[in-house]
Amino acid sequence: MTTPQALRSGYNHLVLILGVIFLVGPIALTFLSSTHTSATLARDSLQFSWGGHFLDNYSRVLTLEAGFTDSVTPLAMLKNSLIVGLGVATLTTGFSILSAYAVVFFRFKIAALVFWLVLVTLLFPLEARFVNTFEVAASLGLINTHAGIILPAVAAAIGTFFYRQYFLTLPEELLEAAIMDGTGPVKFFIDFIIPLSWPRTAAIFIISFMIGWNQYLWPLMISTDDSLYTLVRGIRLIGPTSGPGMALVIITIIPPFLLLLAFQKWAFNTLHVEQK
Amino acid sequence: MAGVELTGVRKIYPNGAEAVRGVDMTIEHGEFIVFVGPSGCGKSTLLRMVAGLESITEGEISIDGRIINEVSPADRDVAMVFQNYALYPHMTVRGNMSYGLKNRGNSKAEIHEKVEEAAKMLRIHDFLDRRPQQLSGGQRQRVAMGRAIVREPKVFLFDEPLSNLDAKLRVQMRIEIKRLQRRMDVTSIYVTHDQTEAMTLADRLAVINDGRIEQMGAPLELYNNPTTLFVASFIGSPQINLVPVVFDGDKLISGDIALSGFKDLPTDADLVLGIRPDDLTQNGEGEVSLRVDLVEQHGAENLIYGALLGAAAEEGEETEICIKVDQQTLPKIDATLKLGVNKSRALVFRKDNGQRVL
Ligand SMILES: Nc1ncnc2c1ncn2[C@@H]1O[C@H](COP(=O)(O)OP(=O)(O)OP(=O)(O)O)[C@@H](O)[C@H]1O
Ligand SMILES: [Mg+2]
Repeated sequence: MTTPQALRSGYNHLVLILGVIFLVGPIALTFLSSTHTSATLARDSLQFSWGGHFLDNYSRVLTLEAGFTDSVTPLAMLKNSLIVGLGVATLTTGFSILSAYAVVFFRFKIAALVFWLVLVTLLFPLEARFVNTFEVAASLGLINTHAGIILPAVAAAIGTFFYRQYFLTLPEELLEAAIMDGTGPVKFFIDFIIPLSWPRTAAIFIISFMIGWNQYLWPLMISTDDSLYTLVRGIRLIGPTSGPGMALVIITIIPPFLLLLAFQKWAFNTLHVEQK
Repeated sequence: MAGVELTGVRKIYPNGAEAVRGVDMTIEHGEFIVFVGPSGCGKSTLLRMVAGLESITEGEISIDGRIINEVSPADRDVAMVFQNYALYPHMTVRGNMSYGLKNRGNSKAEIHEKVEEAAKMLRIHDFLDRRPQQLSGGQRQRVAMGRAIVREPKVFLFDEPLSNLDAKLRVQMRIEIKRLQRRMDVTSIYVTHDQTEAMTLADRLAVINDGRIEQMGAPLELYNNPTTLFVASFIGSPQINLVPVVFDGDKLISGDIALSGFKDLPTDADLVLGIRPDDLTQNGEGEVSLRVDLVEQHGAENLIYGALLGAAAEEGEETEICIKVDQQTLPKIDATLKLGVNKSRALVFRKDNGQRVL
């Protein structure tokens, strides 16, 4: 039956399939390339076939001991990446929800101004203020610390915005009913805002985890110590175009992917519900 | 002892809008008071001031003798049912009903008992573990009621609690609310602009117009003895018939119509004659005639709408009136009916200030 609807549905699927290929393609390409020797990759560039050096490359990465005192190991890098990723995610989510709560529910006079100031920070990504941020970090003694890597990435206005838009959709009467039931500002935050925002929180947590996890330039500037190497910097160390480098790229993708799987029910529910 | 007392209550919103312009009211313990009035007249504002959701610009409100102007909403011992229910979406029905009790430090056993009892009373026992999204409108309304009931407040406040329900459910819930209120004997204030709801629920009605109490009294009292044109036209369905008239010392005159049998009315002012549709009867020797425009069949009775023939036309428009007749009376469109006027029930108002003169 080729009703217009069936045609349309077929067309939709075609678009979606193309989208999936477009998004998954690079990862598949990286994975397949990670089974080739560095020499093959250097000579013939990326590979679309299975190369048979899977074990070689991955075991080389997993047993890596690099750096001045051999302190750059995969486990150490993973630990650093997790500290940075989770640190950025936790702090970003926490500050976002608190600041959005403040600008939406506490109608102080300059709330609108504060919100727009927060939003303006979107126009100044970390890369645009490296020098100043470095000076501030240095004067606070944050060079070569995890905090130094984490803190500058925490100011993410997008989280505040995301929460604010949601809070604005909550009916006024919800707050009023809660007030009449004896809720104060702190209780309302704990009993209502946090549970109602779970799906949002999951989404913001994942996004900011990725931001922290994928940081490259800033950690490079602020940390010179081998002990602070993250996985992403490790790729550079091993050589991103080598076989083991490809293997490390794949390994680096895995933890955020697992996090996404764990949170997907909540995070995708939000996106789904909002479309309705 | 007075349940709720309002003295000189005024509300001016920060933007300068004066929503309530001086209200004095004494509500007895256990009374069911209904606020009615047109949209924007300040009903909700007044109710929300009692609830503590709006500050009181001027005047005093007291509950059981205690002035509550500065008391927080939670400590006023009032519970409110909102128009859109305002249930907590992330809590079960039981959670919704328990929450306020928990905050007040009731013990688990106590909460359990109160919730069970209220649930039984409202027949929501089967849904206690569901979320609000999984309930129908009527069930949600019941849960909202339950949340108010379990708190055993001194005063119930309702802001148009039934206006999101369909007509049939509305009637059903109306009866249920009245029954519950009787049974619990709690002072209640109920806001609505549905005048059937107002008439049927209220012990006393307060008709509000532009931030002031226009008249307050028992529903029948307001129906039979409205003190102003506004109250007369607001109470009663179908609406009272209004005919512009003047008094010549002996008769009420409107165009070609002259109605005798009136005394002691001002002769120097424009007047308005008000006659309820029930007080006009078909009668061969009637003093006035109606040209039928529309017949509405309501089952037990029919409503006939049409032009009052010969009445003083205002700006070229004929005076529309309505009469109530029995089921069998089905006149043809454009037929002319002779009507008798029950003069003992006629109301006369001054046109300029709306005050009643007869
Ligand atoms: N928060 C507010 N700020 C300023 N003015 C307000 C506010 N709330 C209400 N008003 C004004 O006060 C007046 C009374 O409003 P209120 O909500 O009490 O009316 P109401 O009688 O409940 O009407 P409805 O039947 O439409 O609910 C209106 O003119 C309204 O515009
Ligand atoms: Mg209202």
